[in-house]
Amino acid sequence: MRKEFIILTNNPLVKDRLGEEFEVEFMEISYEEVLKKVRDFVYNKHELLTHPLSGSVKPNETPYKSVMVAKKPERFDLESVKIIDSAIAACPKFEFKSDKYAEEVYEDFQYIDYTLISSALPSAVAW
Amino acid sequence: MRRLELGHINITDIQFGSESKIENGVLYVDEEAVKAIVLEDERIKDCKLDIAKPGESVRITPVKDVIEPRVKVEGRGGIFPGVISKVDTVGEGKTYALKGMAVVTAGKIVGFQEGIIDMTGPGADYTPFSKLNNLVVVCEPVEGIKQHDYEPAVRFAGFRVAVYLGELARELTPDKVEVFETYGIMEGAEKLPGLPRVAYVQMLQSQGLLHDTYVYGVDAKKTLSTIMTPTEIMDGAIVSGNCVSACDKNPTYVHLNNGVVHDLFEEHGKTINFVCQIITNENVYLADKQRSSDWTAKLCRLLDLDGIVLSQEGFGNPDTDLIMNCKKIEAEGVKTVIITDEYAGRDGKSQSLADADVAADAVITGGNANQVIVLPKLDKVIGTLDYVNTIAGGNEHSLREDGTIEVEIQAITGATNETGFGYLSAR
Repeated sequence: MRKEFIILTNNPLVKDRLGEEFEVEFMEISYEEVLKKVRDFVYNKHELLTHPLSGSVKPNETPYKSVMVAKKPERFDLESVKIIDSAIAACPKFEFKSDKYAEEVYEDFQYIDYTLISSALPSAVAW
Repeated sequence: MRRLELGHINITDIQFGSESKIENGVLYVDEEAVKAIVLEDERIKDCKLDIAKPGESVRITPVKDVIEPRVKVEGRGGIFPGVISKVDTVGEGKTYALKGMAVVTAGKIVGFQEGIIDMTGPGADYTPFSKLNNLVVVCEPVEGIKQHDYEPAVRFAGFRVAVYLGELARELTPDKVEVFETYGIMEGAEKLPGLPRVAYVQMLQSQGLLHDTYVYGVDAKKTLSTIMTPTEIMDGAIVSGNCVSACDKNPTYVHLNNGVVHDLFEEHGKTINFVCQIITNENVYLADKQRSSDWTAKLCRLLDLDGIVLSQEGFGNPDTDLIMNCKKIEAEGVKTVIITDEYAGRDGKSQSLADADVAADAVITGGNANQVIVLPKLDKVIGTLDYVNTIAGGNEHSLREDGTIEVEIQAITGATNETGFGYLSAR
């Protein structure tokens, strides 16, 4: 059974590079707002497929986040709820500085976020 | 029985010289020879070598990796199998290590890179690497190179230099020899009856660029949880490809000298039977986490273990792997101690981990990575301070006008290491 998925992201590079082959929902919102969008999907019975705190670049440090959720709502998954709620709760621990970088640094953040979500693709398309 | 003799070649000083050699504990480095080794990779345009000694007013940043030079003197394979040496099972025979020194690779790969080693002052107390004589290799990439090409270029350059320096010790007599013996499963049970069967479960960071670890050259994210003889790491079976959030990432030096492995060996045959090391990954995809932790728990059961020590690498998403592993292994009746670190906010009052469970009832912490420290201005910087304002735990005010730096300790290489490598203690 192939698991159909949607990538929720605020990273334009993910939209550009993955948008043609996969379903990518690009939104011009903050890191934390992406997580809250993911939470909405999880509450509407979409299973969470990748960890929302992927990567060691911290919330509020990187402005970009991409998260994969199941395309079809199936069941209310308590494990998914726990993970996304904890991820949102972790955000205020980190000082906000996502708007303080030079232009090329944003490109690096986009690229790292792109490699993080891409690392999930081989597993996501394998079944 | 498998046996590895680890010979210590004590290095008390590093100097540049006309010929690379080790004499009376002094490592002489032929600068041009080392540069030629670095520049073998066409992705690197130039490199600068520098020496940083304990107590000097020197700051090294941004640090990519720290590597202890070693040489395989007897036995199968070579150092860094599948990476520098051909693939062959290592961990037996005789290996020499250059103790008291390291090769440090530094240089910008991404604009938010971090990793600080201060050789003196309060910052030095947070990183054991400040106590080593460091040969620092600062690489400069060719124009227009992409990060994913440049990262392996710097990674491999460090390993090549370390192997070149390790080779200088091949004919020397070690200052000290440690012996590590491990048994087969049945053999160990017969030789050490009545001792608790204990393994070390090591979680490896495996999520993407600057977040990867390699086992015998294989990207750990593409592996299933598996068993190793704990001496294999001492020949470089596991190497680091990650440096983001420097406080709790394992540089290659830490893999070679893993404190959990060494401490378990100390008790092996006395209070425990140190059965094996189990390695598992920390992937982004949740089903991968599920599969890897299922396998870890299954292996613990198959090996009839009584207890394990479980170490994490990194923060956030690996907290989920940590708790999954802990819960499932405990559910198999195997007592589990976890080693983690904390992101408890600057005041230390926030929830430390992004996941938790009642099964995690024996926890060792490497410290609070959000803890703030002011680093004094030092006389010399090897690398660049360009990124100090953007590193994790720093901000636009980090680099102050007087040259001091205010950062969280997460920017310091090894500060809250989750294998017990650091100096933070409640004692």
